[in-house]
Amino acid sequence: MPTPTYTPLANLTLGSSAASVTFSSISQAYRDLVLVATPISTINDGYLALQFNGSSSNYSMVNMEGNGTSTYSYTYSQIWVTLNNQNMWTTPSTFLINVMDYKQTDKHKTALLKGGTASQSLGASVGRWADTTAITSVTLQATSATFAAGSTFALYGIAA
Amino acid sequence: MTMTLVSTVTVGAGGASSIDFTSIPQTGTDLLIMFSLRSLDNGGPRDYIKVRFNGITTSTYTVRYLEGDGSVAASGVFANQSYWYTNTGLNGSTSTSNTFANSQIYLPNYSSSNAKTGSVDSVSENNATQAGQTIAAWSSTTTAAITSLSIIGNTNWAQYSTASLYTILKGSGGASVS
Repeated sequence: MPTPTYTPLANLTLGSSAASVTFSSISQAYRDLVLVATPISTINDGYLALQFNGSSSNYSMVNMEGNGTSTYSYTYSQIWVTLNNQNMWTTPSTFLINVMDYKQTDKHKTALLKGGTASQSLGASVGRWADTTAITSVTLQATSATFAAGSTFALYGIAA
Repeated sequence: MTMTLVSTVTVGAGGASSIDFTSIPQTGTDLLIMFSLRSLDNGGPRDYIKVRFNGITTSTYTVRYLEGDGSVAASGVFANQSYWYTNTGLNGSTSTSNTFANSQIYLPNYSSSNAKTGSVDSVSENNATQAGQTIAAWSSTTTAAITSLSIIGNTNWAQYSTASLYTILKGSGGASVS
Protein backbone atom coordinates (compact mmCIF):
# COMPACT_ATOMS: atom_id res chain seq x y z
CA MET A 1 0.00 0.00 0.00
CA PRO A 2 1.28 3.48 -0.74
CA THR A 3 2.74 5.73 1.88
CA PRO A 4 0.30 8.60 2.35
CA THR A 5 2.57 11.40 1.27
CA TYR A 6 0.67 13.14 -1.47
CA THR A 7 1.17 16.78 -0.60
CA PRO A 8 -0.89 19.15 -2.75
CA LEU A 9 1.27 21.80 -4.38
CA ALA A 10 -1.01 23.39 -6.94
CA ASN A 11 -4.33 22.98 -8.66
CA LEU A 12 -6.17 24.60 -11.53
CA THR A 13 -9.57 24.26 -13.17
CA LEU A 14 -9.72 26.13 -16.45
CA GLY A 15 -12.43 28.74 -16.69
CA SER A 16 -11.76 29.21 -20.39
CA SER A 17 -9.74 27.42 -23.05
CA ALA A 18 -5.95 27.54 -22.93
CA ALA A 19 -3.05 26.17 -24.95
CA SER A 20 -0.97 25.23 -21.93
CA VAL A 21 -0.84 25.12 -18.15
CA THR A 22 2.36 25.75 -16.23
CA PHE A 23 3.22 24.87 -12.67
CA SER A 24 6.14 27.12 -11.78
CA SER A 25 8.32 27.77 -8.73
CA ILE A 26 7.85 24.15 -7.72
CA SER A 27 8.96 23.42 -4.18
CA GLN A 28 12.21 21.45 -3.98
CA ALA A 29 11.17 19.76 -0.75
CA TYR A 30 10.07 16.43 -2.24
CA ARG A 31 11.55 13.45 -4.03
CA ASP A 32 9.04 12.91 -6.84
CA LEU A 33 6.18 14.77 -8.44
CA VAL A 34 2.76 13.47 -9.43
CA LEU A 35 0.51 15.32 -11.84
CA VAL A 36 -3.13 14.41 -12.26
CA ALA A 37 -4.80 15.89 -15.32
CA THR A 38 -8.32 15.55 -16.67
CA PRO A 39 -8.03 17.58 -19.85
CA ILE A 40 -10.91 18.17 -22.22
CA SER A 41 -9.88 18.89 -25.79
CA THR A 42 -11.57 21.58 -27.85
CA ILE A 43 -11.64 19.15 -30.78
CA ASN A 44 -11.84 15.39 -31.19
CA ASP A 45 -8.13 15.02 -31.65
CA GLY A 46 -5.41 16.18 -29.37
CA TYR A 47 -2.25 15.26 -27.54
CA LEU A 48 -1.14 15.96 -24.02
CA ALA A 49 2.55 16.85 -23.89
CA LEU A 50 4.92 17.57 -21.04
CA GLN A 51 7.89 19.94 -20.86
CA PHE A 52 10.24 20.84 -18.02
CA ASN A 53 11.70 24.26 -17.22
CA GLY A 54 10.42 25.62 -20.53
CA SER A 55 12.93 23.49 -22.42
CA SER A 56 12.08 22.19 -25.89
CA SER A 57 15.10 19.96 -26.39
CA ASN A 58 16.69 16.71 -25.21
CA TYR A 59 13.54 14.63 -24.74
CA SER A 60 13.32 10.99 -25.76
CA MET A 61 10.67 8.43 -25.01
CA VAL A 62 9.21 5.03 -25.69
CA ASN A 63 5.51 4.44 -25.62
CA MET A 64 2.75 1.88 -26.01
CA GLU A 65 -0.72 2.76 -27.16
CA GLY A 66 -4.07 1.23 -28.03
CA ASN A 67 -7.13 2.68 -29.70
CA GLY A 68 -9.59 -0.12 -29.03
CA THR A 69 -8.65 -1.96 -32.19
CA SER A 70 -4.91 -1.77 -32.75
CA THR A 71 -1.82 -1.49 -30.61
CA TYR A 72 1.29 0.56 -31.25
CA SER A 73 4.70 1.11 -29.76
CA TYR A 74 7.21 3.77 -30.79
CA THR A 75 10.40 5.44 -29.75
CA TYR A 76 10.87 9.15 -30.27
CA SER A 77 13.24 12.01 -29.85
CA GLN A 78 10.91 14.92 -29.33
CA ILE A 79 10.55 18.38 -27.94
CA TRP A 80 8.40 16.99 -25.15
CA VAL A 81 7.14 13.79 -23.55
CA THR A 82 3.79 12.75 -24.96
CA LEU A 83 1.64 10.00 -26.32
CA ASN A 84 1.21 9.82 -30.04
CA ASN A 85 -2.34 9.04 -30.86
CA GLN A 86 -5.43 11.12 -30.08
CA ASN A 87 -5.29 10.72 -26.34
CA MET A 88 -7.40 13.83 -25.71
CA TRP A 89 -10.96 14.10 -26.88
CA THR A 90 -13.92 16.41 -26.29
CA THR A 91 -14.88 14.12 -23.44
CA PRO A 92 -12.57 14.21 -20.41
CA SER A 93 -9.40 12.14 -20.37
CA THR A 94 -7.49 11.07 -17.30
CA PHE A 95 -3.70 11.23 -17.06
CA LEU A 96 -1.42 10.25 -14.21
CA ILE A 97 2.15 11.50 -14.59
CA ASN A 98 5.05 10.59 -12.33
CA VAL A 99 8.26 12.62 -12.45
CA MET A 100 11.04 10.91 -10.56
CA ASP A 101 13.96 12.58 -8.75
CA TYR A 102 12.92 15.94 -10.15
CA LYS A 103 15.33 18.01 -8.07
CA GLN A 104 18.40 15.81 -8.48
CA THR A 105 21.26 17.56 -10.28
CA ASP A 106 23.19 14.32 -10.86
CA LYS A 107 20.55 12.62 -12.98
CA HIS A 108 18.74 12.98 -16.24
CA LYS A 109 15.04 13.20 -15.47
CA THR A 110 12.55 10.44 -16.17
CA ALA A 111 8.80 10.63 -16.34
CA LEU A 112 6.02 8.09 -16.73
CA LEU A 113 2.92 9.40 -18.46
CA LYS A 114 -0.10 7.14 -18.71
CA GLY A 115 -3.74 7.63 -19.51
CA GLY A 116 -6.03 8.67 -22.29
CA THR A 117 -9.69 8.75 -23.09
CA ALA A 118 -12.24 5.98 -23.08
CA SER A 119 -13.64 7.62 -26.20
CA GLN A 120 -10.63 7.09 -28.43
CA SER A 121 -7.15 6.07 -27.34
CA LEU A 122 -4.93 5.43 -24.34
CA GLY A 123 -1.38 4.49 -23.60
CA ALA A 124 1.74 5.00 -21.57
CA SER A 125 5.03 6.74 -22.31
CA VAL A 126 8.25 6.67 -20.40
CA GLY A 127 10.30 9.73 -21.16
CA ARG A 128 13.79 10.97 -20.45
CA TRP A 129 14.84 14.59 -20.33
CA ALA A 130 18.60 14.53 -20.87
CA ASP A 131 19.29 17.39 -18.52
CA THR A 132 20.64 17.44 -14.98
CA THR A 133 19.01 20.72 -14.05
CA ALA A 134 16.55 20.55 -11.17
CA ILE A 135 12.98 20.81 -12.40
CA THR A 136 11.36 23.99 -11.16
CA SER A 137 8.50 24.22 -13.62
CA VAL A 138 6.32 21.78 -15.54
CA THR A 139 4.23 22.75 -18.54
CA LEU A 140 1.35 20.65 -19.79
CA GLN A 141 0.79 21.47 -23.41
CA ALA A 142 -2.22 20.77 -25.61
CA THR A 143 -0.95 19.95 -29.08
CA SER A 144 -3.15 19.84 -32.17
CA ALA A 145 -5.86 21.31 -29.94
CA THR A 146 -6.38 23.48 -26.88
CA PHE A 147 -7.57 22.63 -23.39
CA ALA A 148 -11.26 23.44 -22.97
CA ALA A 149 -12.90 25.07 -19.97
CA GLY A 150 -13.46 22.58 -17.19
CA SER A 151 -10.11 20.83 -17.69
CA THR A 152 -8.46 20.17 -14.33
CA PHE A 153 -4.78 19.90 -13.39
CA ALA A 154 -3.24 19.10 -10.02
CA LEU A 155 0.35 18.81 -8.83
CA TYR A 156 1.51 16.83 -5.79
CA GLY A 157 4.83 16.32 -4.07
CA ILE A 158 5.85 12.84 -2.94
CA ALA A 159 8.29 12.56 -0.06
CA ALA A 160 10.87 9.79 -0.11
CA MET B 1 -1.24 15.06 4.37
CA THR B 2 -4.01 14.92 1.86
CA MET B 3 -3.99 11.28 0.91
CA THR B 4 -6.31 9.79 3.48
CA LEU B 5 -7.13 6.14 4.03
CA VAL B 6 -10.90 5.76 4.18
CA SER B 7 -11.17 2.03 4.60
CA THR B 8 -9.46 -1.30 3.97
CA VAL B 9 -11.50 -4.43 3.38
CA THR B 10 -10.01 -7.91 3.74
CA VAL B 11 -12.04 -10.84 2.49
CA GLY B 12 -12.56 -13.52 5.09
CA ALA B 13 -12.88 -17.30 4.94
CA GLY B 14 -15.36 -18.46 2.37
CA GLY B 15 -14.81 -15.49 0.11
CA ALA B 16 -17.09 -12.63 -0.81
CA SER B 17 -19.00 -11.83 -3.98
CA SER B 18 -18.13 -8.16 -3.83
CA ILE B 19 -16.09 -5.66 -1.91
CA ASP B 20 -18.13 -2.60 -1.13
CA PHE B 21 -17.25 0.88 -0.01
CA THR B 22 -20.28 2.85 1.11
CA SER B 23 -20.84 6.34 2.45
CA ILE B 24 -17.64 7.57 0.80
CA PRO B 25 -16.77 10.93 2.34
CA GLN B 26 -17.06 13.85 -0.04
CA THR B 27 -14.09 15.61 1.54
CA GLY B 28 -11.60 14.75 -1.19
CA THR B 29 -11.33 15.56 -4.85
CA ASP B 30 -9.98 12.25 -6.16
CA LEU B 31 -10.33 8.59 -5.18
CA LEU B 32 -7.56 5.99 -5.27
CA ILE B 33 -8.38 2.33 -4.82
CA MET B 34 -5.59 -0.22 -4.38
CA PHE B 35 -6.36 -3.93 -4.71
CA SER B 36 -4.72 -7.23 -4.00
CA LEU B 37 -7.24 -9.64 -5.46
CA ARG B 38 -7.65 -13.30 -6.23
CA SER B 39 -10.83 -14.79 -7.64
CA LEU B 40 -12.41 -18.16 -6.89
CA ASP B 41 -13.60 -18.32 -10.50
CA ASN B 42 -12.41 -21.54 -12.12
CA GLY B 43 -12.97 -20.26 -15.64
CA GLY B 44 -9.34 -19.40 -16.11
CA PRO B 45 -6.40 -17.81 -14.44
CA ARG B 46 -7.40 -14.38 -15.72
CA ASP B 47 -10.64 -13.07 -14.36
CA TYR B 48 -12.53 -9.79 -14.54
CA ILE B 49 -12.70 -6.99 -12.06
CA LYS B 50 -16.06 -5.29 -12.41
CA VAL B 51 -16.63 -1.94 -10.75
CA ARG B 52 -19.90 -0.18 -10.27
CA PHE B 53 -20.60 3.04 -8.39
CA ASN B 54 -23.69 4.33 -6.60
CA GLY B 55 -25.39 1.03 -7.42
CA ILE B 56 -25.97 2.25 -10.98
CA THR B 57 -26.75 -0.70 -13.24
CA THR B 58 -27.66 1.12 -16.43
CA SER B 59 -25.43 1.03 -19.52
CA THR B 60 -23.40 4.11 -18.70
CA TYR B 61 -19.90 2.67 -18.28
CA THR B 62 -17.29 2.62 -21.06
CA VAL B 63 -13.80 1.11 -20.97
CA ARG B 64 -10.95 1.34 -23.48
CA TYR B 65 -8.02 -0.86 -22.64
CA LEU B 66 -4.53 -1.88 -23.66
CA GLU B 67 -3.22 -5.21 -22.46
CA GLY B 68 -0.32 -7.58 -22.81
CA ASP B 69 0.11 -11.18 -21.75
CA GLY B 70 3.75 -11.81 -22.50
CA SER B 71 3.24 -12.69 -26.13
CA VAL B 72 0.47 -10.53 -27.55
CA ALA B 73 -0.60 -6.93 -27.09
CA ALA B 74 -4.23 -6.07 -27.68
CA SER B 75 -6.59 -3.16 -27.37
CA GLY B 76 -10.35 -3.16 -27.13
CA VAL B 77 -13.47 -1.40 -25.95
CA PHE B 78 -16.37 -2.25 -23.69
CA ALA B 79 -18.85 0.48 -24.54
CA ASN B 80 -22.04 1.30 -22.68
CA GLN B 81 -21.78 -1.48 -20.16
CA SER B 82 -23.43 -1.99 -16.79
CA TYR B 83 -19.97 -2.11 -15.15
CA TRP B 84 -16.49 -0.82 -15.65
CA TYR B 85 -14.25 -3.78 -16.47
CA THR B 86 -10.66 -4.74 -16.43
CA ASN B 87 -10.29 -7.82 -18.54
CA THR B 88 -6.89 -9.14 -17.58
CA GLY B 89 -4.55 -8.76 -14.71
CA LEU B 90 -6.46 -10.76 -12.17
CA ASN B 91 -5.57 -14.08 -10.68
CA GLY B 92 -8.19 -16.84 -10.61
CA SER B 93 -8.46 -20.22 -8.97
CA THR B 94 -6.28 -21.92 -11.56
CA SER B 95 -3.46 -19.44 -11.02
CA THR B 96 -0.38 -20.47 -9.10
CA SER B 97 -1.20 -20.87 -5.43
CA ASN B 98 -0.87 -17.80 -3.26
CA THR B 99 -0.59 -15.39 -6.17
CA PHE B 100 -2.73 -12.30 -6.07
CA ALA B 101 -3.17 -9.61 -8.69
CA ASN B 102 -2.52 -5.97 -7.97
CA SER B 103 -4.58 -3.16 -9.36
CA GLN B 104 -4.90 0.55 -8.93
CA ILE B 105 -7.88 2.65 -9.92
CA TYR B 106 -7.71 6.43 -9.92
CA LEU B 107 -10.98 8.36 -10.14
CA PRO B 108 -10.43 12.13 -10.38
CA ASN B 109 -13.08 14.67 -9.44
CA TYR B 110 -15.33 12.02 -7.93
CA SER B 111 -17.39 14.48 -5.95
CA SER B 112 -18.00 16.80 -8.89
CA SER B 113 -21.18 17.03 -10.93
CA ASN B 114 -19.29 16.25 -14.15
CA ALA B 115 -19.21 12.98 -16.06
CA LYS B 116 -16.77 10.59 -14.41
CA THR B 117 -13.48 9.28 -15.77
CA GLY B 118 -10.86 6.93 -14.42
CA SER B 119 -7.45 5.39 -15.00
CA VAL B 120 -6.67 1.76 -14.22
CA ASP B 121 -3.49 -0.29 -13.90
CA SER B 122 -3.75 -4.02 -13.35
CA VAL B 123 -1.17 -6.76 -13.26
CA SER B 124 -1.26 -10.43 -12.38
CA GLU B 125 1.59 -12.79 -11.64
CA ASN B 126 1.22 -16.46 -12.36
CA ASN B 127 4.75 -17.79 -12.51
CA ALA B 128 3.64 -19.49 -15.71
CA THR B 129 1.40 -18.65 -18.63
CA GLN B 130 -1.80 -16.64 -18.64
CA ALA B 131 -0.59 -13.75 -16.58
CA GLY B 132 -1.24 -10.29 -17.90
CA GLN B 133 -1.17 -6.59 -17.45
CA THR B 134 -3.70 -3.98 -18.43
CA ILE B 135 -4.05 -0.24 -18.50
CA ALA B 136 -7.46 1.22 -19.13
CA ALA B 137 -9.30 4.49 -19.51
CA TRP B 138 -12.75 4.56 -18.00
CA SER B 139 -15.64 6.92 -18.49
CA SER B 140 -19.21 7.13 -17.34
CA THR B 141 -21.96 9.46 -18.42
CA THR B 142 -23.21 9.62 -14.84
CA THR B 143 -22.67 13.04 -13.33
CA ALA B 144 -23.64 12.29 -9.73
CA ALA B 145 -20.96 12.38 -7.07
CA ILE B 146 -19.57 8.94 -6.29
CA THR B 147 -20.81 7.93 -2.86
CA SER B 148 -20.34 4.17 -3.05
CA LEU B 149 -18.21 1.68 -4.98
CA SER B 150 -18.56 -2.05 -5.48
CA ILE B 151 -15.78 -4.27 -6.76
CA ILE B 152 -17.42 -7.38 -8.14
CA GLY B 153 -15.96 -10.61 -9.47
CA ASN B 154 -17.37 -13.28 -11.74
CA THR B 155 -17.77 -15.43 -8.66
CA ASN B 156 -16.32 -14.79 -5.23
CA TRP B 157 -13.16 -13.01 -4.20
CA ALA B 158 -10.80 -15.36 -2.41
CA GLN B 159 -9.89 -15.11 1.24
CA TYR B 160 -7.13 -12.57 1.95
CA SER B 161 -8.07 -10.42 -1.01
CA THR B 162 -7.81 -6.80 0.09
CA ALA B 163 -8.91 -3.42 -1.19
CA SER B 164 -8.09 -0.02 0.23
CA LEU B 165 -9.86 3.22 -0.59
CA TYR B 166 -8.13 6.58 -0.26
CA THR B 167 -9.30 10.11 -0.83
CA ILE B 168 -6.86 12.66 -2.25
CA LEU B 169 -7.44 16.35 -1.77
CA LYS B 170 -6.08 18.80 -4.31
CA GLY B 171 -4.40 22.04 -3.40
CA SER B 172 -5.38 25.43 -4.67
CA GLY B 173 -3.74 27.93 -7.00
CA GLY B 174 -0.12 27.75 -8.04
CA ALA B 175 -0.56 27.34 -11.78
CA SER B 176 -0.64 29.69 -14.73
CA VAL B 177 -2.18 29.37 -18.17
CA SER B 178 -1.20 30.56 -21.60
